[in-house]
Amino acid sequence: MSGIEEISNESVEVKEDEEFDVEAEDHLRDDFFHDPTRYIFYRDRKEWSDLEPVPQDDGPNPVVKIAYSEKFSDVYDYFRALLKNDERSERAFALTSEAIELNAANYTVWHYRRVLLQSLSKDLREEMRYITAIIEEQPKNYQVWHHRRMVVEWLNDPSEELEFIADILSQDAKNYHAWQHRQWVIQEYKLWDDELDFVENLLEEDVRNNSAWNQRHFVISHTSGFSDAMEREIQYCLCQIKKAPNNESAWNYLKGILQPLGLSSQPGLLERVLELKQTHCSPYLLAFLFDCYEDALENSKENVAEEEQQKTLKKALEICQLLAQEDTIRKEYWLFLGRSLKNKHGSSDPSSEPLADDPEPSVPASGQQEMS
Amino acid sequence: MAEEESQFEEFDQIDFLRDRHVRFFQRTLQVLPERYASLETTRLTIIFFALSGLDVLDALDVIDRNTMIEWIYSLQVLPTEDQVNLSRCGFRGSSHIGIPYSTKGPGVLHPYDSGHVAMTYTGLCSLLILGDDLSRVNKQACLAGLRALQLEDGSFYAVPEGSENDIRFIYCAASICYMLDDWSGMDIQKAIEYIRGSLSYDNGFGQGAGRESHGGWTYCAIASLCLMGRLEEALSQRELDRIRRWCIMRQQSGFQGRPNKPVDTCYSFWVGATLELLDVFQYTNFDKNRSFILSTQDRLVGGFAKWPDSHPDPLHAYLGLCGLSLIGEPSLRKVHPALNITQRAFQHVQQLQQTWRSSTGSCSRQH
Repeated sequence: MSGIEEISNESVEVKEDEEFDVEAEDHLRDDFFHDPTRYIFYRDRKEWSDLEPVPQDDGPNPVVKIAYSEKFSDVYDYFRALLKNDERSERAFALTSEAIELNAANYTVWHYRRVLLQSLSKDLREEMRYITAIIEEQPKNYQVWHHRRMVVEWLNDPSEELEFIADILSQDAKNYHAWQHRQWVIQEYKLWDDELDFVENLLEEDVRNNSAWNQRHFVISHTSGFSDAMEREIQYCLCQIKKAPNNESAWNYLKGILQPLGLSSQPGLLERVLELKQTHCSPYLLAFLFDCYEDALENSKENVAEEEQQKTLKKALEICQLLAQEDTIRKEYWLFLGRSLKNKHGSSDPSSEPLADDPEPSVPASGQQEMS
Repeated sequence: MAEEESQFEEFDQIDFLRDRHVRFFQRTLQVLPERYASLETTRLTIIFFALSGLDVLDALDVIDRNTMIEWIYSLQVLPTEDQVNLSRCGFRGSSHIGIPYSTKGPGVLHPYDSGHVAMTYTGLCSLLILGDDLSRVNKQACLAGLRALQLEDGSFYAVPEGSENDIRFIYCAASICYMLDDWSGMDIQKAIEYIRGSLSYDNGFGQGAGRESHGGWTYCAIASLCLMGRLEEALSQRELDRIRRWCIMRQQSGFQGRPNKPVDTCYSFWVGATLELLDVFQYTNFDKNRSFILSTQDRLVGGFAKWPDSHPDPLHAYLGLCGLSLIGEPSLRKVHPALNITQRAFQHVQQLQQTWRSSTGSCSRQH
C-alpha cells in the first residue's frame, strides 16, 4: 500500500512498529484512526478512493507559486475533484471545513459550502456557531462576514447579531467589516432602538473612535433625523470637544451635521466656537471657523454690505495665516485656501494685504485630470 | 519648515534601496511559502503589484515577459463552444479551481469556474504593463462577464456566484472598461449614483451608503469618476473642495486611512493619488510623507510594510513605491494616478487604443 511510505512525519515511529505489526493493514484501512495525532491523507482514505484528485495546473512556468505542504495539496486536490463533479454529499461538506481551515480566504470553498448547506438541508444554527468561531479567529476576512450574512438571511434571524458584533468590536473597536455588518443588520431588520446607547457607550470608552461617530450619524439620520435633534447634537459635540479638543472626529461630525443647512445657519454657534478658541483651540477648530466665514461669504444675502463681506474675508484670511503656523504639515494648503478665497471674494482694493511670500494665485482650473 | 532634522540621523532613513526592492519583487514572482496561502485566489493581483512595482523601478528587464504573458492568459475564463458561460467570463485569480493549463480557447465548462472582477482588472493591467496587445483577450466575453456583475444599486459583485458588493468593484469595472475602451461593460449612471451615495457626512467616501469614510474607498470613488470622465458632472465644486479637505487632513506624517487611525504606507498612494487627481497634492508635505514611507522600508529583504518595524508585503511594497513616485522620487517612473500603472504603460494603452479605433474605422462605444 502506498500509504505506508507516505505516512506523515508525526507518525514515523508508528510506521516502524507497523512493519512488524499484524494489525498494520487493518489500521491503515481504518477510517476512524484511534491515534488522533496520525493524520491520513485523503488519497489514502478508502472512502475517497472513488475520486481522482485534481492537482493545480500552473503550466510550465508558474508565477507567484505558493509552496504548499503535502497535507495542504492533498486536501485541495480532493476539493477540486469534488468541485469538478459538483458533488453534493456529507463528505464534501466535511472537506470544506478542512479546506477553510487551511485557507479561509478561498471564496470558492465558501460558495461551494453554501451550495451544500442548502442541498443537504444542513442545520443552519450549527452553521451560525461555526461561522461565529471562525470570525472570532479571523475578523478581518471578507468571506467569513459575507458567509455569516447569508446564513442570517436564510434563517431570517438577526437575534444574535448585535451581541456578536459587539463582542468583535470589543476586540477591535474600528473593525470595518464588523461595522458594515452591523449597519446591514440594523437596517435590514430595523434594530435601531438601542443603537444610540451603544454608540454613546463606545464614545465614552474612546471619544476618538471615528467609527462610532460615523455610527452615531447613521443611527440619527435613519431615526429622528437632524432637525429636532440638532441642538442636542451640537451640545454633545461641544461637550466632547471640551473633553478632547484635538479630536478630528468630533469636529467632522459637528461640521457634517451643519453642512446641509450651512455652517452659518445656526445662530450663536460662531460665538460659542470663538469662545472655545480661547481655551480648547485646535487646527480643527480653526478650520471650522474658516469654513463658517467661507459659508457666510458664499451665502451672503443681498443686503450684506460690501464692508461686512470684507470684514468676514479678513477674519477668514487671518485664520488661514494662523492655520499655516499651527498646522504646519498643511501650511501650503492653508495658504492656497486663503489665496483662493481672496481671489473669489476679495475687493479690487489694492491696499488689501498680501497673503504669503508667494503671490501666485491659484484656483485650480479644471481641478482634476480628465481622461480623454 | 520649523524643525530641521539632523541629516546624519536621518541618513539611514532617507536611503532608498532600489536594488533590494527589485529583488523583493523578483522573489515574489517566483515562490512564496505556505503561510501566504490566503493569497491563492488573488495571485493575479500579486503579480500586478510585482510587475507594476518593477515597472515603477524601471526594472522590467529582470523578468521574462513572454513567460508571464502566457501564464496570465492561462487564467482567462473563455467562452465555451456554445457560449453558455458568457456571463461568467473574465480572468481567474489563479489555477485553484483545477482547470487544466491552457492559453487558448474554447473555454472548458466547469460548474464553478468564473472570472473575478479584480482579477480581470489586474490581469489586463499586467498584460499591458508587459507590452501585450490584448489580442488574445476575448473583450466581448470580458464585458459580458462584467455586465453580469452589476447590481441595481450600481455597485458590483466580485464574482457571478455572488459576494459582497461595494465601491472597490466599481473601480475594477471602470478600469476594465477604460482599458478595453468600451463602456458597454457597465451602467455608468447607476455607478455614479452608488458613488454619490457613498459620500459621507464628513466628505470622505465609505464602502457604501452610511459607511465610515476611508482613504481606499475615496480613491476608488474619485479614480472611477476620473476614468469615466465624469468627475465634475458627478460632484459639484463645493463637494470637490470638501473632499479635498477630507483627504488632505489624512496627512499626519505619512497618511492615515481614516481619522484617528495610525498612518499606513499604502495611504500615501490611495490618498496621495486622490489628492493628485483633485489637483492639490502639491500642497501636501512631501518631506514628511517621504520620511514616513522610507521608515517602513525593509532594509534587509526589500519592500515596504504598513508600519515601521513590520513585515513587508507585495501590496505595501508596490504602493509605497507609488507613494514615492507621486512626490517625485528621482529613480522612479511616474504613475498614472487613476489607472495605477506607470505613465509609460499608460502610453502603451493609449497607442493600442488608437490602433483599435483606426482599424474599426469608427469611434469606440464611449459614454
